[in-house]
Amino acid sequence: MASALTREKTRRFGGEASLGIAFVIPMVVIMGGLVLLPLLSTMIDSVYNVSPMRAGTPFVGFKNYIDLFSNTTVNQSWRNTFYYVVLAVVLETAGGLATALLLNKVKIGRRWLLAAVVLPWCLPPVVNAVVWMWIYNPSYGLLTGVLHSTGLMTGPSLFFNDRYVMLFLVTLVHVWRMMPLTAIILLAALQSIPKDLYQAARLDGASSFKCFRLITLPLISGGLAIALSQSTVFAFNLFDEAWILNRASLDTRTVIIQVYLDAFQNLKFSLGMALSLLAMLASLLVSLFYVLKVYRETRFD
Amino acid sequence: MTHRNFALAGGKIGTIIAVLVLLVWSVGPIYWSLATSFTSPTDLISAEPHFWPADMTLEHYAKLFGSTSMSQGNKVASVWPQFSRAIINSVITSVAATFITVAIAAFAAYAFARMKFPGRNVLFFVVVGTLAIPAYTVMIPLYRLMIALHLVDTYVGVTLIYVSAFLPLALWLMRSVYQSMPLSLEEAAWMDGAGRVYTLVRIIMPLAAPGLIAAAIITFLNAWGQFLVPLVFSPTLTTKPLTVLIPEFVSRNYVDYGLINAAGIIAIIPPVLVVLFLNRFLVSGLMAGATK
Repeated sequence: MASALTREKTRRFGGEASLGIAFVIPMVVIMGGLVLLPLLSTMIDSVYNVSPMRAGTPFVGFKNYIDLFSNTTVNQSWRNTFYYVVLAVVLETAGGLATALLLNKVKIGRRWLLAAVVLPWCLPPVVNAVVWMWIYNPSYGLLTGVLHSTGLMTGPSLFFNDRYVMLFLVTLVHVWRMMPLTAIILLAALQSIPKDLYQAARLDGASSFKCFRLITLPLISGGLAIALSQSTVFAFNLFDEAWILNRASLDTRTVIIQVYLDAFQNLKFSLGMALSLLAMLASLLVSLFYVLKVYRETRFD
Repeated sequence: MTHRNFALAGGKIGTIIAVLVLLVWSVGPIYWSLATSFTSPTDLISAEPHFWPADMTLEHYAKLFGSTSMSQGNKVASVWPQFSRAIINSVITSVAATFITVAIAAFAAYAFARMKFPGRNVLFFVVVGTLAIPAYTVMIPLYRLMIALHLVDTYVGVTLIYVSAFLPLALWLMRSVYQSMPLSLEEAAWMDGAGRVYTLVRIIMPLAAPGLIAAAIITFLNAWGQFLVPLVFSPTLTTKPLTVLIPEFVSRNYVDYGLINAAGIIAIIPPVLVVLFLNRFLVSGLMAGATK
């Protein structure tokens, strides 16, 4: 009977490989043509000088990269991006973990609370930035109003004049949008922890904090690694919020804004490509670092 | 015993406060934008913030939807021609990208989950690996490619870029959905003589519908919110979406906050509807994508 079934399968699905290939061909064409070939072209063209403003594409070796490292404007955008990444990842992880723990605890109306939490992630980042730009308005904004009415600040507000305050305000808009994703990922991890582990720990007299450190944290480490990598990649790619709130201002300019300016406003394609490759490598390296470190430190032995 | 009751009550009050803080943080800015969009221009520039519009006005919406409108006492042309065009552009590119992405992912993910063919694992690794690559890394060569193909500022061009950007996530999600389904379903259908394609389309896909809906929602929301891609690839109103048009309402020396908040509220209607009615699918999709 079993062998008959196998023979039957082989007869009918001898063409499995060709059918499988047929199923993936549209994907291969699109991903190959619009992602992988352009990526290859980015790598190759970053050592040439490609610009729509001039004829010919002379080979320049690592000149583009050397130019980037010695350019103070580019270095400033790197510093801004690292500031965004550190602050956004810390705030999203702390806030996301707190939100996930709360969502895991709330029983009544959880569906609606979840909907409210997810909402910011669903909205266009541009609209978020516009809404927050109005909140941050120095004269009539909600932030100024609240600070005045609570007496925390008197007189005119000058937040946009301070570079670090401005970087923080841009990060806050980004965190508002991305924190829900961290919260959902961590909630999924929390829900996969068997309840009887906690009961057993309670019987042994473990405190809430001890339960959290010895049960919760190790068991959500996989989710934590995913949450950390995605928040890092998204913070490295920060463009919309900084662009809407402060345009090309050097105070808040990110590496991706620098790429956009180099390529599409100054029409230095090769310089932009070299910079975007460096940004990609940096974000990949940091993500990889988290994945390895989180796994190593919190693994169950 | 009383001590314990106190602790329990304290914990409950703490939870309630935490929930309120979370609600204000998540929904507060949206409420503030909604209230602003109904507040008259004179109230907007008063010293005290109004948490509730004192006298509701539809003035800002009239500027978006009327043929002409009043601005500072002068009759001016409204932005309706641009605004309506941008709504249409946003809908066409997002809906098209969603359908194409989900259709491609539904078949490809099944092949990766259930079929054996040469290069399967390498291919899956490469495609999902592009999730870690910022989409903007490939924008410059993509721009040259699109110029060569005469696809800049066309629906086809923008839609194709969206598909290439959002396909890996949909693929990842759909593969985990197929993998969690019992193989016995397919085997039963094959025993009854159904072919592989028939089994997939008529039996497996309807059962995987929640996953397909989740993939569609996530793709749609991503496409609807895209900014940098259309900023480069949709320079004119032929394909310019809402996300690119709305920031243009912000001019260098004067910002009509009533108008941009009203426009923002219109732009978030589709995502808000998704959250209100399809949140179950969205959350389970995000969770499945994150844990498998």
